[in-house]
Amino acid sequence: MSFKSIAVSAALIVTCATTGSAMADYPEKKVDMIVGFAAGGGTDVMARTISPYLEKYLGNGTSIVVKNMPGASGQIGVTAVADADPDGYTIGTYNLPGTMARTLDRNADYSTESFTYLANVVNDPNVIVTPKSSDIATMDQLVEAAQDQPGGVTVAMSSLGGDDHFFLQKLSEVTGADYTPVPFSGSAPARSALMGGHVTMGIINVSEVVNFRDELNVLGIASQERSDMADDIPTFKEQGYDLVNGALRGFVAPADLPEDVKSKLLSAFQKTYEDPDFQAAMRKSGNPTELTLGDDFQALNDEQLVLAKKIWETTPWK
Amino acid sequence: MYENLINALPAVLSLGNLLAVVIGVIAGICVGALPGLSATMAISVLIPFTFGMDPLVALGMMAGIYNGAMYGGSIPAVLLRIPGTPAAVATSFDGYPMAQQGRGGYALQVAVVSSSLGGIASALVLMLLAPPLAKVTLLFGPSEIFWVAVFGMSAIVFLLGGDVIKGLISAAFGVFISLIGIDTITGYDRYTFGHLELLDGINIVVLLVGLYALPPAVALLEEVRDLDTANTGRLNTTSIWQAIPGMLKYWKTWIRSSVIGVFVGILPGAGGSMAAFLSYNEARRASKNPQDWGKGEPEGVAASETSNNADTAAALIPALTLGIPGTAVAAVMLGGLLIHGLQPGPMLFRDNPDIVFGFMWQFLFAAILLIALGGALATNSFAQVLRLPRPLLGAIILALIFIGVYSINGRMFDVYLMMGFGLIGYFMDKLKFPLPPVVLGLILGGFAEQNLRLALRIGGGDWSILASSVASKIIIAMILIVVFMPLISRGIRRLKARPDAG
Repeated sequence: MSFKSIAVSAALIVTCATTGSAMADYPEKKVDMIVGFAAGGGTDVMARTISPYLEKYLGNGTSIVVKNMPGASGQIGVTAVADADPDGYTIGTYNLPGTMARTLDRNADYSTESFTYLANVVNDPNVIVTPKSSDIATMDQLVEAAQDQPGGVTVAMSSLGGDDHFFLQKLSEVTGADYTPVPFSGSAPARSALMGGHVTMGIINVSEVVNFRDELNVLGIASQERSDMADDIPTFKEQGYDLVNGALRGFVAPADLPEDVKSKLLSAFQKTYEDPDFQAAMRKSGNPTELTLGDDFQALNDEQLVLAKKIWETTPWK
Repeated sequence: MYENLINALPAVLSLGNLLAVVIGVIAGICVGALPGLSATMAISVLIPFTFGMDPLVALGMMAGIYNGAMYGGSIPAVLLRIPGTPAAVATSFDGYPMAQQGRGGYALQVAVVSSSLGGIASALVLMLLAPPLAKVTLLFGPSEIFWVAVFGMSAIVFLLGGDVIKGLISAAFGVFISLIGIDTITGYDRYTFGHLELLDGINIVVLLVGLYALPPAVALLEEVRDLDTANTGRLNTTSIWQAIPGMLKYWKTWIRSSVIGVFVGILPGAGGSMAAFLSYNEARRASKNPQDWGKGEPEGVAASETSNNADTAAALIPALTLGIPGTAVAAVMLGGLLIHGLQPGPMLFRDNPDIVFGFMWQFLFAAILLIALGGALATNSFAQVLRLPRPLLGAIILALIFIGVYSINGRMFDVYLMMGFGLIGYFMDKLKFPLPPVVLGLILGGFAEQNLRLALRIGGGDWSILASSVASKIIIAMILIVVFMPLISRGIRRLKARPDAG
């Protein structure tokens, strides 16, 4: 080994050592935020709304670059996050129960172990809606109709294997009746089919109904407590039905994120959530917020997977 | 409501907002004219930048891009038989033969005037009739939409070209492509071979560019001979203002195609290409000289271009009132609205009238500006492109389509797919298989299938649900008339001819 190559290796070691210690100064360059959906979708708007606040609370003048990797209902993007280097410079959006459901109904190149769970930010509970013209306006009327003619109640929803589908399975179990799922491509077409009276009932999310209260009957909301987006909608629990379900949207990083980087990110999410400007921005874009941080988020994810597995084993959706 | 319209006007007329529309229209024409780049893509690229913009500036640009691109797509369709956007396929039927006859300049003028008129009609409908038309949209459930798709397929009859068998094979190929991806009703993957990239189906732009743009672009590379560049640079045009009086005879087609475009626009999920195909077919049916169509009839260009622009603002009616985008572009625009906290629904009109009605004015201005900007750009600038040496032109187009297809989803997979379609397109062209049925099959096949199955799911498998509503019955009657009219009229003609012969 010549003197030159020794010098080069020494230099390399020194460089590595300095980068190692510089970890404490995370972030020292831009952070990529991978969004598994196209620009302008609900998840994308959430990512772009939160970015400036995260930049502010991560400090060091860092910038967050939103990268859209649409396709396969978010699976392509989330797989890219799982495969990225766990250095804190790649984080991504994460949707529940969809991301976990895909590990059951498709070949997924990731599992619950593939991520460092950062923060769940949005919790959008399901609601049951019927057309204004319908004679079903309460839960009791709905249950009666469903028990009278098994499969006669048609249910508009956004897709198979999503939060609305899981909610339907729970409803079926709780009410002891069969329903016919009608999967439209997206909640808006489902909601319109409902407004036109082409289906009996629909399952959507509370954020999708607040602007259409005059056109639809809302039978109840699947949350623990009433939503502050529409506090006149009674929860199902109040009405004696044990139904809690919703769509969750949050952020993850690849597994094995260094502890100091993780704690910086978690504290940035915490501070962002507490920022009243952020809350106002989320409210304006129709996102009901609820923060679940770090280990609690991981527990929430496991809970969702257990539920999805249970449904998948008893009533597979494909 | 009309008071709100007037109140929104001053803000729209401010310099910055007006300039946004002008920039949007110019950008839209360029994007539309470049094969592989589409309005959907341009607006998706724009969206992240609009975060910090004033809402009306952002929306004005989008309105401009949408209108500009719908016309821009006709430029390469006419000059090179490469549709710049899916909606310009029908424009190439007569536009390209016109260019070959040395009337390309006139074809572009007809296109820009028709586009502009269609856009104006559409914007007026959006401004004045949005709430009642949203009620019409609600009448169309899955079974009604299924019949509309079937009605659209009746247009295939013309697109089949000379050889019916080859035409049907092309159409079947298009329908087959529409099957690829996840089956939304049962959740099973179809023909994806484990590729996640195929789960959402094949993007129409990937297919269109592969079939239509790649083979001719490669062929351009082979034409090394020098052209008489002095003459090809001019399109033998008079000023657009002198040309307009001569076009007034297309007024019936303009009205008919505007109505068709608006109607297709308010239907969820149909889009500009279906509007263009339908109105081309209807205009041809109504014409006194249907045998000249496809050989350079300016009225064909007028029909297609009027309706693909009449689709634009109308597609925003279901988008703004119900949150269901009528077209892929309207879907991206909804995202642009959402970013500014403007959520679709009846509340939108009540809570943000200045922005919503301002946006509608911008659509109107964009359509009007199209004549001035489009006329000048098309006849003076884009025609100059033809003066470029052919291999250089081919190389530029190739670069653009690779960039365009890559940027749809930001992945190479789509580029390889496009190259595969290019190979298929090359052989289809050599073997004289018509290309338009493939496009129509892809658009309408999936559309018809999904809605048929949703309807049957709602009806519990009972086929009678398909004819249960009044709207369904009306469309079925229309289909029967369209399909059997030629037979009946031939029969009548034969009856009339018999006494003379006998």
